[in-house]
Amino acid sequence: MSNEESTGKVIGQALTIAPALREGLKLTLFMAMVGQGVTIVTPIVLQQIIDEDILSPGGIDFGSVLSKAAIAVAALIVGIIVGRAALLRLIRSSSIGLSDMRTKTFNHLLRQSVLHVQAERRGNMVSRVTSDITTLQEFMEWGGVSLVVASSQVFLATAVMFLYQWRLALISLVGVFLYLILMRWFQKILQRNYDSVRVEVGQSLGVLSEAITAIPVVRAYGTEAATQEKVAVALEARFRREFRTNWFGNSLFSSAEIFAGMLTTAIVVAGVVIGVNQGMTAGQLIAFFFLTNLLIEPLQIVVETLEFSQSAASGLRRVLEVLQSPVEIEDPDDPESLRADGLSVRFDRVRFAYPTGPDVLTDVSLEIPVGARVAVVGETGSGKTTFAKLLVRLLDPSDGEIRVGGVDLARIPLAELRSRIAFVPQEGFLFDTTVADNVRYGRPEATDAEIFTAFHELDLGDWLSTLPAGLDTVVGERGGNLSAGERQLVALVRSWIASPDLLVLDEATSAVDPALDVALRHAMERLTEGRTAVTIAHRLATAESADAVFVFDRGRLVESGPHRDLLAAGGIYSDLYADWTTGTKSI
Amino acid sequence: MTSTTVEVVSCDFFMQQPELTPTSVLRDGGRLIWRFVRRHPISFSVAVFGAAIYASAIIVASLVIGWVTDTIVIPVLDEGESYTGLLLPAAVAILGVAVIKAVGIVVRRTSAGYLQLRTRQDIRNDLLDHELSLKMAWFNRQSIGDLLAVADSDVDQGTGVLGPLPYATGVILLLVGSLVMITAIDPWIGLGALLGLIIVIVVDIKGSWVTYRLWEVVQEARSKVSSVAHESFDGALTIKSLGREQYVSDHFRVTSDALRDDLIKVNSTWTSYQTVIRALPQAVSIVLIVVGAVRIDAGLLSPGDLVTVAYLLALLAFPIQLIGFVLWDLAGSQAGWKRIEEVFAADDFVGYGDLYATTSGGAAPVLSEKVDFAYEVGVNVLEDLDLDLDAGVTLAVVGPTASGKSTLTRLLARLWDPDSGGIRVDGRDIREFALSELPREVSYVSQEAFLFDDTVAGNIKLGDEFSSDQVETAARLAGAHKFIEDLPDGYETELGERGTTLSGGQRQRIALARALIRKPRVMILDDATSAVDPSVEAEILRSLKSAALPSTIVVVAYRPASIRLADEVVYVDNRTVVAHGTHEELLRTEPGYARLVQAYEDDARRMEQEAS
Repeated sequence: MSNEESTGKVIGQALTIAPALREGLKLTLFMAMVGQGVTIVTPIVLQQIIDEDILSPGGIDFGSVLSKAAIAVAALIVGIIVGRAALLRLIRSSSIGLSDMRTKTFNHLLRQSVLHVQAERRGNMVSRVTSDITTLQEFMEWGGVSLVVASSQVFLATAVMFLYQWRLALISLVGVFLYLILMRWFQKILQRNYDSVRVEVGQSLGVLSEAITAIPVVRAYGTEAATQEKVAVALEARFRREFRTNWFGNSLFSSAEIFAGMLTTAIVVAGVVIGVNQGMTAGQLIAFFFLTNLLIEPLQIVVETLEFSQSAASGLRRVLEVLQSPVEIEDPDDPESLRADGLSVRFDRVRFAYPTGPDVLTDVSLEIPVGARVAVVGETGSGKTTFAKLLVRLLDPSDGEIRVGGVDLARIPLAELRSRIAFVPQEGFLFDTTVADNVRYGRPEATDAEIFTAFHELDLGDWLSTLPAGLDTVVGERGGNLSAGERQLVALVRSWIASPDLLVLDEATSAVDPALDVALRHAMERLTEGRTAVTIAHRLATAESADAVFVFDRGRLVESGPHRDLLAAGGIYSDLYADWTTGTKSI
Repeated sequence: MTSTTVEVVSCDFFMQQPELTPTSVLRDGGRLIWRFVRRHPISFSVAVFGAAIYASAIIVASLVIGWVTDTIVIPVLDEGESYTGLLLPAAVAILGVAVIKAVGIVVRRTSAGYLQLRTRQDIRNDLLDHELSLKMAWFNRQSIGDLLAVADSDVDQGTGVLGPLPYATGVILLLVGSLVMITAIDPWIGLGALLGLIIVIVVDIKGSWVTYRLWEVVQEARSKVSSVAHESFDGALTIKSLGREQYVSDHFRVTSDALRDDLIKVNSTWTSYQTVIRALPQAVSIVLIVVGAVRIDAGLLSPGDLVTVAYLLALLAFPIQLIGFVLWDLAGSQAGWKRIEEVFAADDFVGYGDLYATTSGGAAPVLSEKVDFAYEVGVNVLEDLDLDLDAGVTLAVVGPTASGKSTLTRLLARLWDPDSGGIRVDGRDIREFALSELPREVSYVSQEAFLFDDTVAGNIKLGDEFSSDQVETAARLAGAHKFIEDLPDGYETELGERGTTLSGGQRQRIALARALIRKPRVMILDDATSAVDPSVEAEILRSLKSAALPSTIVVVAYRPASIRLADEVVYVDNRTVVAHGTHEELLRTEPGYARLVQAYEDDARRMEQEAS
């Protein structure tokens, strides 16, 4: 598959995804062609006046000169109106189409697990809906418009040339063709240089942004001078590469001016030699000088937008890649609703692996009755968090079945599932707004009074009163104004206020101090009476008071049962517990 | 709804900068250009020289075409004369001019490129130097994303005008030269051309100006889209687990559609002006051709002269469009430069003394006297904090969530300075140390382990000279040696964006090794092992204890096991040190401390009682 073909295919796919792009495109192009007629008015009117008036033996007839000028001006006005209308249509349809594409891509990405599974790729995903679409937009609005304008101009200028003198027109066309080949060749040579510039630019920006991000570390370790040196070296390397490419590109492209001079020379020589025998008029040859320029100028634009169109095409490819990746968690086709009472959980031989990776969870079967409080324990990397994500359907199992309230998890409508099952992850992500608004993410219709009550129910009233503006305290970008522990408190209230029937906590209080942690746990136990609660515990105190404990080790469920039984059995759990008690023993 | 958003944005914008006018853009732009050009006067002069060559070549090219018309085209085609002997000089003239034009382009673009690229390099180096000398208080007020954008896109934008500047100078030369030449050919046509060009330029500048203002609104809308996307993707797990996808999608759609409407507005305006600007020179040409015909009839002008004028106007049409772009670039450069200047204007510098580090002194005593500190004025985080620490002691800092523990460690490492009071290491005020000297005595490890885009060994050495034995010893002590050995290239494994990804606990252990290898006189660990599994953590702390480090150690800890390893404990609550003593003493004398540290034990005991 050649590159050109695949580019065409990609564009076709884009038109299917954003149909607004293609709406009325043919009419738009036709109108653009008419509008571009303005550029050939001058050569024609000049030819007419020179041949029919200035050089006519009878001298100049002003009536005829004025009427020709009047027709030309009228043509100009029509051209302006039609051409403008065409471009406005193009702008409208491309803006609408691309905004649709942006929203579609965003929605698609939001439903992918890559955002929470591979956190380091998030920034990359953001550029799918920002810079990639922006590149497309700019291409459509600047490159695309000039491409339409330029190709209409080439078409019209060529048509007029053929009307005047086809032999000369052919010479021009051959010349233009050679010129285009020459420019393409330059472009290809330069492409390699551009690529190495991009690498150098990326590297220098990487070094620079690392230096800025790491300023606290730089200060703590006194490495200011070394950091400056490292950045200076990277910037110098970038300068050298950019300057060399710049110089090289200038030389290549300016040599095209010489080529344009050669073409004009060829027109003069051929025009005189051929024209004499073919009855070509002086006005026609003069018009050719102008028309030749009209041919070459847009080609320069086209060649310069080639670079542009290539980056637009690769942006488009990346966007399509996102849109064509399957939706991982889909709303069921044959939904089945949960009953109104409490929720039980059942895992039946569940296996999970990422598409290219080894098993993260293997053969997990377990049962949690309605209203039970269970703890899940295990070392880092044992599969606890994956278990939680499967349970709340942030991931789907590779094999096996999960039932909640007796219903296959994959058949519960997502909206219903989210309102009945709450999940509190460890990170405690907060949005850049007030504490109250963050809590409202859990239940949009909650009043301030309800939110206030929720904090008090969880014994967090004292903490709330330490905030400068209480519920109206703005938490900052990613909750940066609060400490990690405080962010977890808000996240906990946020899930709590949705009053779920199944609560899944994934180390949700790991950064909270021990005394507050204990208080919170008691409050939660009081409040979740009768509801099902699954707690992934970093502190085994939670396990001690749970109805049952599930112990994970290297992706398998290895032990399960009440705390006392597991302790007595002397397996992995009793080791973990021994670690924990020595760890928490104060004396 | 969408249109209201647009209006709000534009209102904000105009309120912020009421003084921006085309005149102010030209005036301030001139100053900005002077600032850049002053540093590289030669490359700028050469670029302008190249532009002058280019402009002259265009004028001469149109003269050549006129001359060809009068001496070859009309005599041969219209009057039937022979062309023998005429073609060679014509070809030489046309080609010669083309070569000169090409040379002008190369000279202009290459020197302008040099000027622009060098200026960018200078500014980026200066920015980093400046930022490195500012206080953390300043960084705390910035978003890292904004600072990166300043160093990247704002520098590009701020210097954007330097690229087309020599060309613009050339265009002005070209315009003046053309008018002079046309007037010399025929004063009436010259006058017509002058009037015509003035109209074109006025429309052009007006169009650019209007479009530029709209464009700034678009930029705002664009950054809004980007920040909504960033926040939504960062919080994706939360959004999904709360079932708020639709809400977030709707929010994004509104933002994206606002951008779409702004884009349609700006591009429609731009296109409207462009269509007129492209057609206007043609209208001028047509009028001048009519005038020319009259003058030819009166015998005052040759047909070749008329062709010269028309040809020149055709060649001018494109450069004239660029005058408007320069205004854009000028206004855009000022917007970019404004953000750069805000960074340069920050003068919250860290003050340094002239004290050199004494690395050979062994563990150092640490003293903090009457320290007050607030991140934001009025919200004290630490008040009247005293701490007296003997050399070689291992101190645990314990306190409830948000009591000021981390802040205390940052002050001890001088990442921030106290608002009042002072901190002394081995009797010397830490503000008296010269730049980069204090870190040779005091090492600080935070909870967030920052790793550089470098090898494991590079991350531990951090630019200083250490042998690979020293690196390995430090890694062993930090409990990192085993997993490093298992990495694909051991200590030479590349980390960072393009390298291996490590778990939080592994990252923290490498950061710990980074401090240990330096054998600091004071080592400060702010919850530096929070992501390490408890049993591994206990092992690390035990090996630190038995290694007999030449350091005074301050460690923020929650786990009683870690606290028990410390010689002394301070209990921090309500912004100050409440008690200082051994763990046993504090358990006896400080009920708050006991409650915090024994929370789990108490809880377990209570549960047992309830059970029985």
